[in-house]
Amino acid sequence: MDSQNSELVKQQVQAELANAYAQEFFTTVREKCFAKCITKPGPSLSSGEATCVSRCTDRYVDATRMISGVVLQAYSSGQGGV
Amino acid sequence: MAPQQSIDPQMAAFLEEEKRKAMFNEVVAKLADVCFDKCVSKPGASLDRYESACLSQCALRYLETGQLIMSRISGGSMN
Repeated sequence: MDSQNSELVKQQVQAELANAYAQEFFTTVREKCFAKCITKPGPSLSSGEATCVSRCTDRYVDATRMISGVVLQAYSSGQGGV
Repeated sequence: MAPQQSIDPQMAAFLEEEKRKAMFNEVVAKLADVCFDKCVSKPGASLDRYESACLSQCALRYLETGQLIMSRISGGSMN
């Protein structure tokens, strides 16, 4: 495989992985925030429910970022064992 | 018998790195899944310090729990 082709393959692999990750993230957040915020499904999403979902999404992003840092630190200080 | 094919070493290194990153992401995703439920009951405008501390501790305890279990089932001090 020539180097140009190699580069294209690498980019494609990374794009596919990023896509799969984003899809999984979305699915998880939707499930969690629906459970937390829409306790009694009504005829439409109330503004309270919409606000809750927005916050929930943002907090989940925050939590993921935070935990990412914690895990990185744990791995680099040899606390691994996953 | 099919001839042995070897992957270009540069490509192999690339795939190893991507695999490592994917595994890291999987661990983080699992921890976030479990710990968000334990630590964030009512999502607010930001993560307060209790939630932050809880998430951090939860992640570490979860990893430690895994280590403990691993050493147990792989023949650590079994009483």
